[in-house]
Amino acid sequence: MEPLEILKRVGERFPGKVLEVSERKPDPFAVVDPAAIVELGRFLHDDPEFAMDCLSNETGVDYKDRVEVVYHLFSYKHRHHCVLKVKLPRDNPEVATVEEIWRAANWMEREIFDLLGVNFNGHSDMRRILMPEDWPGHPLRKDFVEPLEYHGISTVRESPIIRLDQQKKK
Amino acid sequence: MYFDYGIPLALTIIGLVFMAAMIGLQKLLAPYNPFPRKLMPYECGEPPTGNAWINFNVRFYLIALVFVIFEVEVAFIYPVATVYLDWVRRGQRLFALGEMLVFLLILFVGLIYVWVKRDLEWIKKVPD
Amino acid sequence: MPLLNTLPDYVLTTKTDELINWMRKSSLWYMLFGLACCAIELMHTGGPRSDIERFGATPRASARQSDLMIIAGTLTLKMALRTRLLYDQMPDPKYIISMGSCSNCGGLFQLAYSVCDGVDKVLPVDVYVPGCPPRPEALTEGLLKLQEKIMSERWLAREKAVDAVAQA
Repeated sequence: MEPLEILKRVGERFPGKVLEVSERKPDPFAVVDPAAIVELGRFLHDDPEFAMDCLSNETGVDYKDRVEVVYHLFSYKHRHHCVLKVKLPRDNPEVATVEEIWRAANWMEREIFDLLGVNFNGHSDMRRILMPEDWPGHPLRKDFVEPLEYHGISTVRESPIIRLDQQKKK
Repeated sequence: MYFDYGIPLALTIIGLVFMAAMIGLQKLLAPYNPFPRKLMPYECGEPPTGNAWINFNVRFYLIALVFVIFEVEVAFIYPVATVYLDWVRRGQRLFALGEMLVFLLILFVGLIYVWVKRDLEWIKKVPD
Repeated sequence: MPLLNTLPDYVLTTKTDELINWMRKSSLWYMLFGLACCAIELMHTGGPRSDIERFGATPRASARQSDLMIIAGTLTLKMALRTRLLYDQMPDPKYIISMGSCSNCGGLFQLAYSVCDGVDKVLPVDVYVPGCPPRPEALTEGLLKLQEKIMSERWLAREKAVDAVAQA
C-alpha cells in the first residue's frame, strides 16, 4: 500500500482524530491529535491490514511556534511505511508515550525529552540519555544558551584558526 | 644428619632477604600520595553505591568442604608412599597394602555417599 | 623514610635514577580507555601487526593496575567527571597519552553541546598524539616520546633548580 493511501484510510477510520493529511510529494504525512496518538498507534500495530510492527524512528522538531514529534512507522509484513506527526505547544509540551506498543520508543523518547524537553506521560524511565543528569536546559531548542562552564569544566575553546589569522596579520 | 636441615634453612633465609629487599626498596623509592578520592573503592569511575559485602552462593562452600576432606586424604597417602618400599623389603607387603586399602575404602564410601546425594553436581536438580 | 628527591647529583644516584626510569618505561601498563573510534586504532596498536606489547605495554582493564592512561576517543561532559575519578584512582607514578583529535581539542565535535573540548580541561596530559584516528605507528611514536620523557625524570637525585638567570 502506498503511504498516502494508508494515511487516507486511517483518516477515514478515525474522523476526528487525524487533523490533516498532507500530500507532499516524497513523504506524505498525517498530523494527529496528541490525545489520540496511542489509540492510532495501537490500531496501526494490531490491524492485520496495516501491521506496523516497527517504529523505525521517532524524533522531535522545534519550530519557532511549536514543537512537533514525528513517528516513522514501518511494516515488515507488508513492506509499507507511513509518517505521523503530533504538534505540541512550545511551553511544557506533553504527549502520551507509545512505549507499550513499540519498545524501541523507550530510548527515542528519552532522547526527545533530553534534547527538546517534551514530557512523555506514562514512560517507565524518563531521564536524560546524552547530557549529564544535572545539565540545565534542553540543547536542541532554538532558544538554548550554552552555559559557560559545567562543574568547573569550561565549555569554550579558542579556535586555532583565530590564532592563525592573528599571527598572519602580524 | 643435621646438615640435611641446612638446605631449607638457606632457602628460608634467602626468601626473607628477598622479601625484605623488595619491600625495603619500595618504601625508599616509591612515591606515595594518598588522598580521599584516590582511596575510594574502585567502581569503574562512578562513585560507589551499595554494600561491598554480598551474599555468595552456598555451592562454593560445599565444593570447598568436599575438597578439604579429600585433600587431607591425599596428604595422608604421601608419607605411606615414602615408607612403602621399606615395608615390602621386610616382607610385610600384603599387610601394608591391606591397611592402605582399608583407609581408602572408608573414604571411598564417603565419596559414593556425596555422589549419590548429588552434591557433586553444580546445578542440583531437585525433584518437583 | 622515602628517599624521593633528597640526594645530591652523584654518579650512583643519577645512575640509579636511570635504572629506575628504564624499568618504569619498559613496562608501561596502559588502561584500556577506548571511548570511540580511536579505540579501534588502540586495539590495532596492541594487535599483532604493530605490536605495542614489544615495548612492554600490556593492556589492563582496571585503573588500579595501570600506570598509563591512553584516552582514545571523544570525551563527553558526562564522561569527563568519571575520567577525573579514574585518573585519581590510578597509583603513582602515572602518565597520560591523549590520542586523537577528539581528546586533544574536541576535534570534529568541538562545537557540540555535549562534548568536553579536550581532555586537558580535566587531566594533565603528557603526550598528545594528533590524528583522526592516529595510525598505530603514530601512537607507537607517542609512546616512545613518553618513554623519552620518563627517562629524563629524577627520583633519587634532587630536582634541578630553576635557573634564575635563564628566567630573567
